[in-house]
Amino acid sequence: MTTTLLPTPDAATTASSPSTLVDVRHLEKRYGPTAVVQDVSFHVVEGEIFGLLGTNGAGKTTTVEILQGLRRATRGSVDVLGFDPARSGDRLRRLIGAQLQEAALPDRLRVGEALRLFASLHPAPRPLSDLADEWSLGDLWRRPFGALSGGERQRLFVALALIGRPRIVFLDELTQNLDPVGRRRTWEVVRQIRATGTTVVLVTHDVEEAERLCDRIVVLHRGRVVADGTPASIVDSLGGATTVTFTDPSIELRSIRHLPGVRQVRRRGGQVEVVGSGPVLAHVGARLVALDRPPLDLQARRPTLEDRFVALTEEAS
Amino acid sequence: MTAVSVSGTGTGRTALRLAGVELRLLLREPMVTIGMIGFPAATVLVLAGVFGSLPDPDFGGVAPSDHYFAGYVGVVLAAMGLITIPVHVATHREVGVLRRFRASGLSAGVVVASEIALGVVIGSAAVAVILLLGVVMYDLSAPVDPLGVLGWYVAGLACFIAIGGALGSVLRSGRAASALGNLLFVPMFLLGGGGPPRAVMTSAMGTISDALPLTHVVGGLRHAWLGTTDDPYALWWPVLLAAVSVLFAMRTARRRAG
Repeated sequence: MTTTLLPTPDAATTASSPSTLVDVRHLEKRYGPTAVVQDVSFHVVEGEIFGLLGTNGAGKTTTVEILQGLRRATRGSVDVLGFDPARSGDRLRRLIGAQLQEAALPDRLRVGEALRLFASLHPAPRPLSDLADEWSLGDLWRRPFGALSGGERQRLFVALALIGRPRIVFLDELTQNLDPVGRRRTWEVVRQIRATGTTVVLVTHDVEEAERLCDRIVVLHRGRVVADGTPASIVDSLGGATTVTFTDPSIELRSIRHLPGVRQVRRRGGQVEVVGSGPVLAHVGARLVALDRPPLDLQARRPTLEDRFVALTEEAS
Repeated sequence: MTAVSVSGTGTGRTALRLAGVELRLLLREPMVTIGMIGFPAATVLVLAGVFGSLPDPDFGGVAPSDHYFAGYVGVVLAAMGLITIPVHVATHREVGVLRRFRASGLSAGVVVASEIALGVVIGSAAVAVILLLGVVMYDLSAPVDPLGVLGWYVAGLACFIAIGGALGSVLRSGRAASALGNLLFVPMFLLGGGGPPRAVMTSAMGTISDALPLTHVVGGLRHAWLGTTDDPYALWWPVLLAAVSVLFAMRTARRRAG
């Protein structure tokens, strides 16, 4: 067994904070005259669940495959764990975990054989019994890959991605073959993966999945970044429209109109509607309590990430 | 970003483990075994049965059964290189197995090494079956030049594993590999020493036969085993083809990586 200390990263990388695991700058991928990824820049910080969100054909999978060294970029710089994936792909891929959108194993390869084979690639693999328990693979141990259902295959692939105790794992359309129960269970496991210290890069077209799981998101559309931030900040960038409502037929509207973040106050019958941005719900609630008029039906309606996602992709189109 | 240390797990060991897994998978595919061993075995038994085991001038004065069994060592290697290996590799590519291997850090070198190991094992097993049949059923004579037989066996193995790798590197599906493999193998088998003896071929057939790598591998094996042969046996030709095939496969792999 040999141990090699790899060289320090290039200049572009050293500008990032020490906990930056992935640094992508001005990435471009062309096939002939067609650009499928254009001027994409982002970084992934250790310990987060980072989402690449976009419609089909947005360039998500191409981007993440470049990060893993499975494709070569046409232009731009990519640094993953201190490696240039284009030059040190094999070494890098032993340190990361990957669940690919389109991949398979030989039909007659049994689940146990697959786990043992992939475990042999790593110096300190996770105990196979732990993985089998975690991903409910124990009962499938002798079953050939070709006889597994879509969900069972997905569980096996995630187990294979985690087998080498990776610092970062790339999960591409993780829940696409799962039923709603399996989907929610998988979300929980993704959170558990992060809780054990593994950084997660989640590639998805599922807005709800991105909103529920990701700490930060990059939205790709037609190969370009159209939004970048936390799910909440991306929603806020829609233009603020948080609407707070409560029932109070006699309250004076001017007592609310000057609260921070409030843009508009109007009465609809006995109900008051306050339109604003930022933590407007908290300000309105605090004011009503201070006025000793706490309502029973105070609620806020915020635009969802899906609203913002649709707006972004329509704007970009 | 901090530098990261990488611990190797041993390329050779990984390749052997992968070859072991691949061998088990091949054995679970009965049609592969039948195609690679069953067809040459059945054919050589028929031919030896038809032409017999008495010395014959059309066979350079040797027993036709010896002529065929010695030559079929090469035929088995050709079946492996032209059909078994390309179908195996192309099917892996088609369904995404190679992609899955690559994403897990299994380098192309490890996959190639495992395919070579697999080729050596299944090629040797198939040759052993053919020779066992020859000894048991037709009292196959001992080789005149055992080292020469070994040398030509290694040359044939290298040539056809390399050709198989080159075909596998470029073909995108198992069906395409099977179709092309059979298209290449059947005429090569018939004109390259597996079919009629050279003495009964037309001059056009002889010209084509001279260009086939199998002809030279079979000719070399027969010459080393029997001490005589009518077939040409220029070692440089299969070796050159092996080298060209390796370069072609490497170029294709580099292009795919881009």
